Amino acid sequence: MTLRSQLLKGILEGCILAIIDQQPTYGYELSVKLQGFGLTDVSEGSIYPILLRLQKEDLIQGTLQKSEAGPKRKYYHLTSEGKKALQEFKLHWNSIKPPVDKIMEKGGKYL
Amino acid sequence: MNAKDIIQLNNEQREKLSEENLQIYEDMLIYIRLKSNKSEQQTEEVLLELLDHMLEAQAEGKKASDIFGEDYKGYCDELIKEIPGEKSSTIALFLGFIIIQFIAIISFVHGALGFALHYFFELGSDIFQLSLGKGFTIIIIDLLILYLFVKVVLKWIQGSAFKTKKPKKSLEFFQIWLISTTFIGSMVLIGYFMPDFGLTLDIPIITFAVIGAILYLISIILNKRYRITK
Repeated sequence: MTLRSQLLKGILEGCILAIIDQQPTYGYELSVKLQGFGLTDVSEGSIYPILLRLQKEDLIQGTLQKSEAGPKRKYYHLTSEGKKALQEFKLHWNSIKPPVDKIMEKGGKYL
Repeated sequence: MNAKDIIQLNNEQREKLSEENLQIYEDMLIYIRLKSNKSEQQTEEVLLELLDHMLEAQAEGKKASDIFGEDYKGYCDELIKEIPGEKSSTIALFLGFIIIQFIAIISFVHGALGFALHYFFELGSDIFQLSLGKGFTIIIIDLLILYLFVKVVLKWIQGSAFKTKKPKKSLEFFQIWLISTTFIGSMVLIGYFMPDFGLTLDIPIITFAVIGAILYLISIILNKRYRITK
């Protein structure tokens, strides 16, 4: 796996956890939300392998429920493990984002 | 929702796909389903999600390649990697079911046919000399052959997914005919050439039909109770 896709996957996992944390979400809805936030670089299908992995790691749980539109859909919600993982992600992200932003802006020149 | 109910739902929903999308989706479905030893429940759930996604995207005029990228097979491989394995209790139940039903059919056909030949055409005897060692060995080898047969056919079907040029029907028929004939032939040959050994019992041939019928009944009850195939 390339560094780029590895980086993207980790970030995408955090974003997915954060969206599901807001309210139970199903696959298509999730991809629409991600795109709505501007993550158009991510192909829609790439969320499903991640959703499977998050389920395997017991961070999210999916249940098939009747949707308003009719057909049964798999809605995901966070487990308590998932909530913890989301907090950790936020912590890591907040500690890494400002310095990286600064480096990108100043091109590595010292302040 | 049980995996079998999801399959049913999938069959109904799938008809709403456009012809082009249906072709792509069914290739993905075959390819993903036939990767063995993955949890059936998880497999069917994610397949339904993909279908649902394609239907919504289709309504908005998006193409399948917009969702999954150009490399469908690569996408499926990535997905399969993340599907958890099947529980060993489920595998054991499935194998037990197959073995019981296999022995049931062999036993019933052997008993009923032998009985009918003897009583209606006076061919053969109504007492069968069962050589335990031989019988047991043949069943084991036949089951192994059956396992191999299923593996080969599944591989063959899986290989047919994502082919841009569909091969000729007659060629496909010939390939499957050859595979089937080889396996059925080897089962017959093994029964024919296996020498008698082990304890020998004299059993009225109709007994096999009765045992077969009972085992078949058991397999049906098991299937109803645990929803093994439907």
